[in-house]
Amino acid sequence: MPKDPILRIEDVVKKFGEVVALDHCSFAIEPGTITGLIGPNGAGKTTLFNLITGVLQPDQGHIYLKGEEITGKRPYEIARKGVGRTYQIIRIFPKMTLFENLIVVGKGTGKKVTERAMELLDLVKLSDKKDDYASDLSFGQQKLLSLAQVLMLDAELIVLDEPAAGINPTLQNDLMTLIHQLNRAGKTFIIVEHDMNVIMGHCQNAIALNYGQKIAEGSCDAIQKDESLLEHYFGR
Amino acid sequence: MLDFLEILIRGLMLGSVYALVGMGLTLVWGVVGIVNIAHGEFVMLGAYFAFWAFSLLHINPLFSIALSIPVFFFAGVVIHRRITERLIKEHELSALILTFGMSILIWNLAQFLWTNTYRSVPYLTGNFPFMGLVFGKSKTVSFGLAFLITTAIFLFLRYSKWGKAIRATSQNSEVALVCGINTMKMRMLTFGMGIGLAGAAGAIISLQWVIFPQMGGSYISKAFAIVVLGGLGNIHGALAGGLIIGILEALVTQYLSAKMAQIIPSVIILIILLLRPTGLFKK
Amino acid sequence: MKRRFGNKNRVWLGIVLLMIFLISIPFFATDYWITLLTLILIFTVYAAGWNLFSGLTGYTNFGLAWFIGSGGYVSSLLIADYNFFWLFAWPIGALFTSIVSIGVGYILLRIKGVYFAISMVALTEGTRELFGTEYLTPITHGGKGVPFIAGIKLPTLYWAILVLAFLTLMICYRIFSSKYGLRLLAIREDEQAAETLGIHTTRDKILAFVLSAFMVGLAGAIHFTYQNYIDPSFAFSIHLTLTPIVMTLFGGVGTVFGPVIGATLFTFIHEILWAELTLLYMAIFGGILMVLILFFPQGLLGWMKERGILPRIRKI
Repeated sequence: MPKDPILRIEDVVKKFGEVVALDHCSFAIEPGTITGLIGPNGAGKTTLFNLITGVLQPDQGHIYLKGEEITGKRPYEIARKGVGRTYQIIRIFPKMTLFENLIVVGKGTGKKVTERAMELLDLVKLSDKKDDYASDLSFGQQKLLSLAQVLMLDAELIVLDEPAAGINPTLQNDLMTLIHQLNRAGKTFIIVEHDMNVIMGHCQNAIALNYGQKIAEGSCDAIQKDESLLEHYFGR
Repeated sequence: MLDFLEILIRGLMLGSVYALVGMGLTLVWGVVGIVNIAHGEFVMLGAYFAFWAFSLLHINPLFSIALSIPVFFFAGVVIHRRITERLIKEHELSALILTFGMSILIWNLAQFLWTNTYRSVPYLTGNFPFMGLVFGKSKTVSFGLAFLITTAIFLFLRYSKWGKAIRATSQNSEVALVCGINTMKMRMLTFGMGIGLAGAAGAIISLQWVIFPQMGGSYISKAFAIVVLGGLGNIHGALAGGLIIGILEALVTQYLSAKMAQIIPSVIILIILLLRPTGLFKK
Repeated sequence: MKRRFGNKNRVWLGIVLLMIFLISIPFFATDYWITLLTLILIFTVYAAGWNLFSGLTGYTNFGLAWFIGSGGYVSSLLIADYNFFWLFAWPIGALFTSIVSIGVGYILLRIKGVYFAISMVALTEGTRELFGTEYLTPITHGGKGVPFIAGIKLPTLYWAILVLAFLTLMICYRIFSSKYGLRLLAIREDEQAAETLGIHTTRDKILAFVLSAFMVGLAGAIHFTYQNYIDPSFAFSIHLTLTPIVMTLFGGVGTVFGPVIGATLFTFIHEILWAELTLLYMAIFGGILMVLILFFPQGLLGWMKERGILPRIRKI
């Protein structure tokens, strides 16, 4: 039996005054995939993330998570249902320690949460800094912390807004390795990236947006072959 | 019908002065980023300025009003340079508390120096009869002066070099900085203008109402309502907001009671913040 | 394994000794001192209550007097007009305030930043003016206030507020060192990020707001019983909102014991100034406030933590 898509966007419209940020957008994401979300600035990618995570409500259309409708639900409800998200401009809790940054996300108290937090700090190789304030971390380390927070949530669907931006290639490599590791363990990813190498090199599928509309959807191979499409819209 | 017209005009006259106070506050809040709780105290100082000039030096209050503008402008510039500029980068609570301390300092000092005795400037007495309606001379002249000052401010902000720089700083201070605008200087200027407006408003008020050390309190609440109504930093909105508050006050005082009119600023603030937090008017 | 009399036990011993001392005050001190301590304790609860909500969530509550006045009025009117026993009037006043604050919090906590602060001021001012209008005067006695006697002796009142202050501080200590406290901090650091990380921000901040309302409302009820008089212009005054805030600032916002230290130091300074320089003391208070904010924004405890004199842990 074919699996339900983990995320389904159905005919979603979002306007800000006169500006149409998302124009009847529809697509589906299969579980266990890594999908790239590409498009020029202002195409509506971050708005899409905001709609998926409940920060904004669509003016029209529906969003389904694992078959259940989440349109109009509050961010914390959606997060608890298994959606984790990072931001383009890193948003962690600066005046809390790394350990606290993770603990606060975990459900409940007690040993299980503490252990999980330490596990995740180990995973992102930041355990030695557990009692440092998050604001003391470097840019790249903050990105890792932010990813660890999402993992603390035990999210099945993880949406990352430009995870590779602004960090050195080694760290980028570590990050992508981690993402593949988690993907093999069953997590689904949607990644916004401008760096085509990252998209083509790591994603199985891609969705292209422009002016709020979906202009392409499919496997990365297919899209890569369709050079003319990309050139037409992105002027490469 | 005539009654209603009279109330409306009375409200406009009241509102014109409130607008001056509100414009000063919104300017400082929007451009400098500081919520000056002591703004009402400068209105009070403006009133006392006109009073002492009149009773000690026999200076014509109209002249005092004109004089108050540069005097208070200068005071504002100095205060900003020495005190408030330090808090620009801090959390907004800090500026709030600082100006609150300043407010307490000023009105208590005023109380200590000049006592609570009600003062007044009985310079313009009597009424203007006009088309069957009667208007106090002092109120009418005040309205005219407020109108003049408002126009001057608008023209300054629209056409002068500094005015444009101030508007740029209020819209995006980082970009303004990059464009070579000395944002610190602009903030000083704007703060000065804000205080200047407060002082002038106070001097105008001295013509019409009693003067006492705590009078700033009622003006600051109205000023807040005006800023919220008109939109932060929006001078035109503040003008409209001031007039609206004035008219509402006149109407409620007439048809309900003076005491009920006191609730207006609070109600307005709550309603606007809940329904249209950016204010009624577009920038 | 030998049991060592470690730091923690020493601290507890210190607290127990302090409490014994404070409880026994009415047996040997003059009325002047009992009164002074009563006021310090009342303002400690005000300050700690403010700090619990605003210090952690970052939502600056400039309407503390609304909690105080509401709790104070409900309690005082019950005692004055309906002959309630103070032991019942007080908690009813606090309960009223906290129940209404659920609604207030639900509506007003959608507003952020300075605007939230202003909306709380507007609420307080509006309520104060409302109480003075002809429409509500039949119930509230309007502007002229309500003089009343509650049939309670000073030592009893003192003990009551002592218990409340102790409980308040214990609750604050527990919350500050709990995960709930951490969630409130997260709301202060970045509310939207907290939400997308699964934190139920609405519920968490309203809970803190209501808790704060209850404690402060209860202290307000006690305060006005002590004064034997209540009127709108004092009960809802900006002075009652700002003094606890200043006290907390003095001691250190976001620390547990900052409010106590601030309240104590402050009241003593206030007493000295008032005694020596009656007419000018408020002006000097304003000046001190300005100096504090400009040069010691973290307060005494914050400064001590920074210097390493105190450990930088959250629970103090």
